[in-house]
Amino acid sequence: MSADIDTLSDFSSGNDGARRFARWLAGFALHGGSILAFAALLIFFSITAPFFFTLGNIGNVLGQSAILGVLAIGLTIVIIGGGANVVKGGIDLSLAANLGLSAAVYATLVSTGHGDGVAIAGALLTGGLIGLVNAIAIVIFGIVPLLATLAVMNVVAGLELVLTQNTVVSAASDFLSVLSNYGPFDIPVLAYVLIIFTIIAAGIVQYTPLGLRLYAVGAFPEAARAAGLPVKRIVASSYIASGLCGGLSGILSVSYLSGSTTGAGEMLLPVVVTALLSVVFSRRLVPTIGGTLLSTLLVGFLTNGFQLLNISSTLVSGIQGILILLVVAATSLQRGKGVA
Amino acid sequence: MSPVADNGKYALRLRGLVKRFGGVEALSGATLEVERGTVHGLIGQNGAGKSTLIKILAGLYQPDEGSIEINDISHRRLSAHEVEKLGIHFIHQDRLLVPSFTVGESLFLGREPRLAGLPFLDRRTIRKRAEEILDKYFKLKLPANVLISELTAAQKQIVQITRALLDKPSILVFDEPTAALVRREADILFDLIRRLRADGITIIYISHYLNEIEALCDRATILRNGKDVATIDPRATPASKIASLMVARDIEEMFPKISVTIGEPVLTAKALSKAGKFQNVSLDIRQGEIVGLTGLLGSGAKDLVRVLFGLEAADTGEITIEGEKGRPRSPVAAVAKRLALVPEDRRGDGVALGLSVAENITLASLKRFTGFGFLKRDEEHTEVDRLIEQLAIKTNGRFAPARTLSGGNQQKVALAKWLSRKSTLYILDEPTVGVDIGSKVEIYNLIGKLAERGAGILILSSDLPELIGITDRILVLYRGAVVREFQSSEATPDEVLAEATGALIQHYGEQRHVS
Repeated sequence: MSADIDTLSDFSSGNDGARRFARWLAGFALHGGSILAFAALLIFFSITAPFFFTLGNIGNVLGQSAILGVLAIGLTIVIIGGGANVVKGGIDLSLAANLGLSAAVYATLVSTGHGDGVAIAGALLTGGLIGLVNAIAIVIFGIVPLLATLAVMNVVAGLELVLTQNTVVSAASDFLSVLSNYGPFDIPVLAYVLIIFTIIAAGIVQYTPLGLRLYAVGAFPEAARAAGLPVKRIVASSYIASGLCGGLSGILSVSYLSGSTTGAGEMLLPVVVTALLSVVFSRRLVPTIGGTLLSTLLVGFLTNGFQLLNISSTLVSGIQGILILLVVAATSLQRGKGVA
Repeated sequence: MSPVADNGKYALRLRGLVKRFGGVEALSGATLEVERGTVHGLIGQNGAGKSTLIKILAGLYQPDEGSIEINDISHRRLSAHEVEKLGIHFIHQDRLLVPSFTVGESLFLGREPRLAGLPFLDRRTIRKRAEEILDKYFKLKLPANVLISELTAAQKQIVQITRALLDKPSILVFDEPTAALVRREADILFDLIRRLRADGITIIYISHYLNEIEALCDRATILRNGKDVATIDPRATPASKIASLMVARDIEEMFPKISVTIGEPVLTAKALSKAGKFQNVSLDIRQGEIVGLTGLLGSGAKDLVRVLFGLEAADTGEITIEGEKGRPRSPVAAVAKRLALVPEDRRGDGVALGLSVAENITLASLKRFTGFGFLKRDEEHTEVDRLIEQLAIKTNGRFAPARTLSGGNQQKVALAKWLSRKSTLYILDEPTVGVDIGSKVEIYNLIGKLAERGAGILILSSDLPELIGITDRILVLYRGAVVREFQSSEATPDEVLAEATGALIQHYGEQRHVS
């Protein structure tokens, strides 16, 4: 009989410990390194660009980053709930197109004489519906999120063209001018919007049972199922939440640009960078809402610093591409060690 | 017996269960009756129907026929949710815990304590209660904010059991719980299971380790080919009887040994050393010879195999393969020298679940079946059918997707893949780990045939009776050195183990110590 001989008891710790240490080191380098890089960037810009480290400039950056931040928080929710696997995990590529269509809906409603209430409802409904379509494609039809949202992105971008005839729809209303104005301390209202929205989103994602379940579903769906969680419903909700973020960012963008413009699709790359970068700001190396706010600011400061230094802003998107590669490579290296 | 007297005796009665998947009948009338407050074993080979039975109990599959009675109430069908409400909980073989969660979060996922009157998590209570509970049940002092990924396999298992206990279960099902545990950890688990039984919890314990069943279970049901063949008292039934009930085969046939004439050396290694791994190891393997290699984790046995196959470089020493000097510098070079390595983690990287059984088997040897750049399907299929038959792979035909096979059969497919490649030296790393007894015999037979064909075989295994049964010679590594070579016919498991653990070192004096 195959009597079992306990051959695995004594020496397991040394080898295992070394590997664990290597993983810890990789994680520490990723986490610590990024925070150092962020700090170095801030210091560099404050020395080279005199206006950089002023309350006014920081407020401006926050305000300019509001649209990006709201979208990235939407994407973060999807990544948390869908898992960080770059190919099969959660991703919402339709977010930037969603912003475009929601903004177009809002601007069109306002410019055709509807009130702000109707326009806000219209934009959020648009965003929510896009999220619902994504959710149905992914959860019910089982299409890989990368493909499902890519297809939806194209449909949504097409709808925007149909609605706006590829023109700028300008819009003005009391609500829009409040949003685009400056608030206390001469800081743009949009900056306050971003901060309040982040606090609400972080409150839900990091501090409620729902948030914990979202993490469980994304990190290990089998475990979530074994814990009796409705996995599909939670994943679907994450896409709807992300769609709503798209709708909200559409409203912010109409106020920021005094109307809807074409070319919202260009937001896609920055949004993906920002959300992916979020992991490096958490100790467990998981995406967090707070981390996303920090990476939004990093991307914002990077763009702003370049402008202050009169460096061509076209370089920024190149740097963003490199950042995606670096972060994805570093995190998958760090995880790969765990798998092997 | 009157029905009144019967009332309450059984916690669970599954009778005459039938379950078909396509053409394959996974269960054909299986019955499992578990008395309240007992530990009931469920044994059977891979593919005997254990997992199907358990999945029916878990509400994951619906039976085609048969009746389910839990606490004397019949259920026509069960859903996963109902099962949980009935107080049946499962401790799975795979630890279903989120690696990036803390212990506390894992314990309370799905029933999180909240701050009074608020929708927010009460992290303090989570931490405090988790530490209290772990201490109460297991005397385990584990900070509740440690991440799951930092725990050992046994600690993870404890977290999972604790999770189930929080629900005050009436029936706990353990599915191969010791698969990832070492002996000491398993003993802790057994004590715990006995304690749970004393608390009145009914336990179903699934395992193919007979010694565990004997040590732990009050009763045991043996499944074979989708039917229950017997329910026995494992303490009163000799292991050989149980084993023969499982396989319906005489246990003496377990290790078939074909006598083969030993030929020329296939591989000779002289004075191989690798810093920190092993020192001054020499060995030779001849045509038709089966050589065993064993040692504890960290003994250098695994590293030695990796060096022989070119996965790692040795610092000094020389290797001669079929008369040709030169260490293989890479696995590609090793394959070119007609070496084959069957890795231990075959289910992990060995099987493409989406491909058919046939495609999987010939994946590593496509060249053999290629003519003018096209696949020669006929030859391929003849070879595949031969291997399916030889290894008794239970499949719905050669075109069935690998994912439809049971775990043990997937493993046999992985093995077949490497064996379909003709080589002169096969290095097999734990060739039968996780495989049931019946399949083991088929694998042993196949190894014997490879030797008969003139191949040399090196088997790395920690299953000592197996190693003694099928090899000609056994080399024991301890702390990076060959401490003893046995003729297998003269070795006993106890002796081999004593050498491998270094228990005999003091008898022979300190010069045997290689640090």
